[in-house]
Amino acid sequence: MTLESYLALGLALFSLGLVAALSQRNLIAVLIGIELMMNAASLNFMAFNRYVVEDPAVGQVFVLIIIGLAAAEVAIFLSIILRLYRQRREIDSEHITTLKG
Amino acid sequence: MDTLTLALLATLSPLPAFFVALVLLNNRPSMAQAVAIFGTALALLGSVGLLLQGPTEPLRFAWFSSGQIHLQFGFLLDGMSLMFGVAVALITLCVMIYSLGYMAADPGRARYFAMLSLFAWAMLSFVYAVDLLQSFIFWELVGLASFFLIGFWYEKPEASAAARKAFLMTRIGDVGLFIGILMILPLTNNFDLPALLDPDTGLVKLAGPALSTITLLIFMGIVGKSAQFPLHTWLPDAMEGPTPVSALLHSATMVAAGVYLMARLHPLFMAAPDTLHIVLAVAAFTALLSATIAMVATDIKKVLAYSSISQLGFMLMGLAAGSLFAGVFHLITHAVFKALLFLCSGVYIHHFATNDMREIGRRGGRSLGATTLGLAIGAGALAGLPPLAGFFSKEEIFAALGHEGSTLFYIAALIAAFLTAYYTARMFFLIALPDEVVKEHHDDSHHGSPQPIVMLAPIALLAIGAVGLGFFGAAIAAQLGLVPAHHEIASMLPAVGVVILGMALAYFDYGRTAAPRRGFIAAVPALHALFVNKWYIDEFYRAVFVRLNDALSALFFAIESRFFDDGFDQVGHSAIRAGSGASRLQNGWVQFYAGATMFFVGLAALYIGLR
Repeated sequence: MTLESYLALGLALFSLGLVAALSQRNLIAVLIGIELMMNAASLNFMAFNRYVVEDPAVGQVFVLIIIGLAAAEVAIFLSIILRLYRQRREIDSEHITTLKG
Repeated sequence: MDTLTLALLATLSPLPAFFVALVLLNNRPSMAQAVAIFGTALALLGSVGLLLQGPTEPLRFAWFSSGQIHLQFGFLLDGMSLMFGVAVALITLCVMIYSLGYMAADPGRARYFAMLSLFAWAMLSFVYAVDLLQSFIFWELVGLASFFLIGFWYEKPEASAAARKAFLMTRIGDVGLFIGILMILPLTNNFDLPALLDPDTGLVKLAGPALSTITLLIFMGIVGKSAQFPLHTWLPDAMEGPTPVSALLHSATMVAAGVYLMARLHPLFMAAPDTLHIVLAVAAFTALLSATIAMVATDIKKVLAYSSISQLGFMLMGLAAGSLFAGVFHLITHAVFKALLFLCSGVYIHHFATNDMREIGRRGGRSLGATTLGLAIGAGALAGLPPLAGFFSKEEIFAALGHEGSTLFYIAALIAAFLTAYYTARMFFLIALPDEVVKEHHDDSHHGSPQPIVMLAPIALLAIGAVGLGFFGAAIAAQLGLVPAHHEIASMLPAVGVVILGMALAYFDYGRTAAPRRGFIAAVPALHALFVNKWYIDEFYRAVFVRLNDALSALFFAIESRFFDDGFDQVGHSAIRAGSGASRLQNGWVQFYAGATMFFVGLAALYIGLR
């Protein structure tokens, strides 16, 4: 296993996440895409930590923070989605454009 | 009392009366009248006191100094200002008392008396001014009072139009006057009149083109104020104001301010022969022009207005011919007898509610005996019938013109005097000797007596002046510090001759039984039409200046509305369009924002990577 193969996997994960986040209309699918992109970033951190940096602790700290952040983000995102669903009985991102200019 | 107290009394006392009558007593006309008359009476007391004290040193108070320039306020107390001050205060008081009767039924008479007080303050301050700039300030204030009083009946469109016209026409002249005054400043660093006129150190030594320019510019102001050609057209229109106002401002005192200013600056004018020629020409032409119009006018106030213009021309001719005494003497006698004539005409107008002389005559104008006697005396004085006041003062002007040696102007003045006698006698005959008198049974009750005592008393006083003032020529000359020349009887003959000729012709045309009742000029229809239409001067101004002004206004309006207005509108509109275009980007769709963000982050990454 080389650094490149980890990075390639990270790139693939990120791209899949991006496509999902931008193309899906269901907000839950968008949330899943965002989670995928975060995990791709975490994977990159761990790969660089393994191959480039001597001290293994640095990357792990970052990744732990990202995991914590992601958990908090999911909680907020899901609660917003729940509120939206209760108000509108739908969670289609194309229809939620109240802040249009 | 000391001189300063008297001078302050003479100039300032109408000012509080103005404020009190206008602000506090606006709803109590009878008290406003009393206050105004009291103020003017105090001013008369002050000016009489000054006259009794005799000429003294001027009183000067520094206004401010800037560098070498020193400006001041003060009182110039020489013979001329003392005399004219008393004349102004006396005639103002007469007119105010007369107005008690004339304006008795007018609801706005508190304002009327307030404005008369404003005028009295401004005019007296102008007369006693020691500083040329001070003169100019009060000169303008007098014009302001004139504006208010001409437009007193502002609900009448003609009156407010006449007020505007008077204000604008005199302003044209005043621009010249102001430039002339300002041109003096660099030469002397102050406007002190005695210093300017000093024969050794004053402006006189300047002589030459510079002095000619300055005096000519000052003369522009005089042309405007004293209604000389070509700025004379405002004065006949000013007759829209109440008749006592016409008597006071537009014949006796305010329009004479121009002549007074020229008399004040007489030494300067005498040192500028070029200007004197122009003054003579303008004045002679004006005297003739307005006399011809007065000859055919049927409105009694118009006749008197054109006559005032003509007589002001006479005064300026006298001054320009080199005789200070002739100009000032005629100024004072004219003030008295023309005020008398206007006040008499006011009685007719008040009683018959018409300005048409033929109508007044037909409806029995001569039945108002005392007024008709006053009219006869005033008319005789105006025509120059010996031994009334106008005869003596006009004689001085003829003597000055004859002495000056210009035959052309002497003959012009003779013709003007002939026309004066003609139209004055015509006016009198139309009123006093109509071909038929219609008996009317009109209701006198709402008028009260046609000739109340408050109206007759000023007429009587002025009539005494018009009879007797001529004999005080020597005293007036002495006040001016001059010795009147002795005139040969023979040199008076032409002037007396034309007066008698003019009156005889008027009697032939209008007075005798079976008179044709049309002027001799009607034999030449073209001339008659020219005179009736006032030489088409108003039409000319309307066709040229008013239209030019309208065209310019339209042009500027178009530039303003098309270029500036629309231009700035376009700037605003394009900002709005740009804003609404840009706001379309904010479509509220979160994923669009995320995509755009990723796109630009990707671009940035690409840039960093490829660098």
